[in-house]
Amino acid sequence: MRRHILTLVASRFGLALAVLLLLVWSVGPIYWSLVTSLTSPTDLVSTTPHFWPPSVTLEHYGKLLGATSWSQGNQVQSVWPQFSRAFVNSLVTSIASTVLTVVIAAFGAYAFVRLRFPGRDLLFILVVATLAIPAYTVMIPLYRLMISLKLIDTYTGVTLIYVSAFLPLALWLMRSVYQSMPVSLEEAAWLDGASKIYTLVRIVMPLAAPGLIASAILTFLNAWGQFMIPLVFSPTLATKPLTVLIPEFVTRNYVDYGLMNAAGILAIIPPVLLVLFLNRYLVQGLMAGASK
Amino acid sequence: MKRRLFLSTVAALHIALLAPALPALAQTAKPLAGQTLTVLLPPWVTLPKEMTDRFTEKTGITLNSQTLGWDEIRTKIVTSMVANTAPASATEIDWSWVGQFGAAGWYQPLDGILDPAVLADLPTSKIFTYDGKLIAIPYNNDFRVLIYNKSHLDKAGITSAPKTPDELLAAAKAIKAAKIAEYPIGLPLSATEGSATAWYLLTKAFGGELFDEKFEPLFTAPDSAGYKAMRFEIEALKAGLIDPAATGLKDVEIQELFKSGKISFDVAGWAGNLAVYTDPSKSQVAADAKAALMPSVTGKSRTFGLPGALGIPTSAENKDAAIAFVHWMLEPETAIADYTLLGNLPTRLSVLKTLNDDGKLKEGDVLLEQAGLVEPLFAQGTPGWYPEFSSAVASALNQAAKGQISVDDAVKQIAAEAKNAQQ
Amino acid sequence: MTYAPSSVRPRFYNGDAGLGLAFAIPIIVIMGALVFLPLVTTFIDSLYRVEPMRAGTPFVGLGNYKALAADANVRLAWINTLIYVVVAVVLETVGGLGAALLLNKVKFGRRWLLAALILPWCLPPVVNAVVWLWIYNPSYGLLNGILQSLGIISQNKVWFNDRETALFLVALVHVWRMMPLTAIILLAALQSIPADLYEAAKLDGAGPIKSFRLVTLPLISGGLAIALSQSTVFAFNLFDEAWILTGSSLDTRTVIIQVYMSAFQNLKFSFGMALSIVAMLASLLVSLIYVLKVYRETRFD
Repeated sequence: MRRHILTLVASRFGLALAVLLLLVWSVGPIYWSLVTSLTSPTDLVSTTPHFWPPSVTLEHYGKLLGATSWSQGNQVQSVWPQFSRAFVNSLVTSIASTVLTVVIAAFGAYAFVRLRFPGRDLLFILVVATLAIPAYTVMIPLYRLMISLKLIDTYTGVTLIYVSAFLPLALWLMRSVYQSMPVSLEEAAWLDGASKIYTLVRIVMPLAAPGLIASAILTFLNAWGQFMIPLVFSPTLATKPLTVLIPEFVTRNYVDYGLMNAAGILAIIPPVLLVLFLNRYLVQGLMAGASK
Repeated sequence: MKRRLFLSTVAALHIALLAPALPALAQTAKPLAGQTLTVLLPPWVTLPKEMTDRFTEKTGITLNSQTLGWDEIRTKIVTSMVANTAPASATEIDWSWVGQFGAAGWYQPLDGILDPAVLADLPTSKIFTYDGKLIAIPYNNDFRVLIYNKSHLDKAGITSAPKTPDELLAAAKAIKAAKIAEYPIGLPLSATEGSATAWYLLTKAFGGELFDEKFEPLFTAPDSAGYKAMRFEIEALKAGLIDPAATGLKDVEIQELFKSGKISFDVAGWAGNLAVYTDPSKSQVAADAKAALMPSVTGKSRTFGLPGALGIPTSAENKDAAIAFVHWMLEPETAIADYTLLGNLPTRLSVLKTLNDDGKLKEGDVLLEQAGLVEPLFAQGTPGWYPEFSSAVASALNQAAKGQISVDDAVKQIAAEAKNAQQ
Repeated sequence: MTYAPSSVRPRFYNGDAGLGLAFAIPIIVIMGALVFLPLVTTFIDSLYRVEPMRAGTPFVGLGNYKALAADANVRLAWINTLIYVVVAVVLETVGGLGAALLLNKVKFGRRWLLAALILPWCLPPVVNAVVWLWIYNPSYGLLNGILQSLGIISQNKVWFNDRETALFLVALVHVWRMMPLTAIILLAALQSIPADLYEAAKLDGAGPIKSFRLVTLPLISGGLAIALSQSTVFAFNLFDEAWILTGSSLDTRTVIIQVYMSAFQNLKFSFGMALSIVAMLASLLVSLIYVLKVYRETRFD
């Protein structure tokens, strides 16, 4: 009996330890970044790590969001205009590509599952096969294509590239979602005289909503985090996203780690919010994509 | 009643008299008012608010200044210009990009925008001509000089600044032995341009050149200046005279180390930086920062110039505002502020003279003496393949510093890449 | 397969094709113009010399590929990429499996544990790199700070000076980001294993390790294959982390960084395109191996 309790306690303890390890591993670095962004510059260069800033300061955030900023000991213009513009750019391209991708995938995946048309299976295989192709294989000719179409440094150009990059995954996901739904529901509607489109929009999609939401979240996160593509295709502040602006900050404020971490923290607010509030859909979506 | 009527009539008359003059005044004062100008500049031209405010006040143009690490600026300009999109209306143009950018025809000739008197005041503008046309106007008169921390040397019992590379090594060893600074010599060794230019400087210090007139490498033989220069750096690193973390540090980060008193020698010191090093609000070694002529094996100091200039891309919008910006940057008031607040040495001779006469040119005597010994890195003009070559130098130097390849292999690698780049 | 009753089939069959194509056209247009066409262009142009700074585009046949084979930097980049792939796949699979097993066992607060687990994956890789850059900082970083206070090292170590540690540390940041994906895939696979199989194994006297080997592993092999192939492709694509942490240093340069540098810094487009074709073939080959292996294994079901 005693042995039983001991092993139970040991295994529970082991489990708790493992959970703690996982938490520290996953969230630790982000926590550290947050602490750094709230630590004063003098405390940052001390040799002992503090797990909570000795004196919390908002000066780094002030440099980013304030009316003026500081650089190399001089008071300089506020970086807020650049920062806010980059944030808006990130938001616009991420949302636009998400909406476009989900809409195309919602209808397209249905076509792959329920509608017969010539070349259906081949097209699906080709599209999904692009997931295995590294992004940069097409970057150079894409660059030249965008130049000739005059779409460099435009929201349209970048959004289209994102859509082409994230559509395969969304299609795969939605296809498995549609496949797991019984046809009988739709058949009932067809027998009642509903058109295919009506059935799709009014009956199937609401049921597939979790899948749609998951696709949307995945696409948004992917788009928000893009770096190399906008590095090439969004050179000026007109369309430059936050992910490109922050390393630029790093190169310009080479020893201001508090500032760099503060910029990083600001940039991860939307993804963190998504994870906090919508993680159920996200996990569902990932697992649905995984179980195919 | 009458009085009020009288007063209002007088007022109305005044306004009527002045009214035609007012718009004319406004027009001549700020023809470009309300426009926004984007400029792309390196970190050491992150203009302080007082300067940007002055620009806006003077011209009515809102300045949107984007500063980017130096190594990133060239890539940004290149990727944008190939796509026919100007990254900004005015950008930095480094002396080393003139060959490549000039050949590509990306920048607008600026021959007409300056007064001939001002142009004569800018001897470095010669470096920025391509095919007879002036494609950029220099505003940053960087050349290299040895900057050292006098108190470190005093404490180690060294009475005068080193004049040869060997003396530099000896001084560093003495400082390290006396435990004044753990890593006395400051040289960048990361795979960035600052590391490459430091090596070029040391090559000159060892009495040699990089290439001959036909651009054949001169640094592969063990007794050549370039070889010796690289060996000097690697051996100093191995002897613990250079911080091992330097393999991840750029030149601007080495400067921060000097400002905090951690290193004794800023070997590839930027002449203008003395203004910042001696500013107590920005540097912890304000009282001790001094300059000396670049050490040289021949006894006659040599150095080279790395001026920075402003250019206007051909596809830029707001070209007039950009021209106004260039004019403003060259104004004596701006150039002096640029020097005192940011450490960028003015390019106009008259301004330099004013600064020196006023005693505001920090270490002015040494600077002026060194200025007389400035050579161009490439006598024949900077070739278009320089950026690719320089990147290869930085990578090889970085690898050698990390102990991954020997100095021998490094110079051979650089020579091979130079050949590659020249094709 | 549609199970529509035969009486309705003819009426919908014709409409099917039209509607299906209508839905598929945006996909065809976008993927065609932005992926397949550039892919073909990449391949064709890699046989020419395309450099914006030089006039003309002469046909050079396999010249670019020969230059690739001869280039020492490219060889080094390949080795680096391979090392990243191996390290990343191994660590992600082992770590992901461990995390998946743990999550499978945990009932209380699983939702929040999952949220914490996938957090690294959801952040922009660039921000991850900045965060870890600070952790790896030789003088003030957390890594050196912790190691020193634990007495493991006596003075601050410059981690990026040694090629081995540099490669490992860059890979670690990538693993930190990608492990959640593997964990989720394996978790989904674990949850599809019926509990009675474990009961049966226990009745047969199998201990935890044996039942893992005989029950768990075979049944998650499908998920394992997917996770492995995803890990590989993403590791092949490693750019952001290496670029932010070590820039253009040769000892940590990946193939994709080399493509970026050749194309956008040196403006040698055709060289970059040839390299990216070779990289694509390598990546496809490895993925194909996984897919075939899974196909063969699931066939025996």
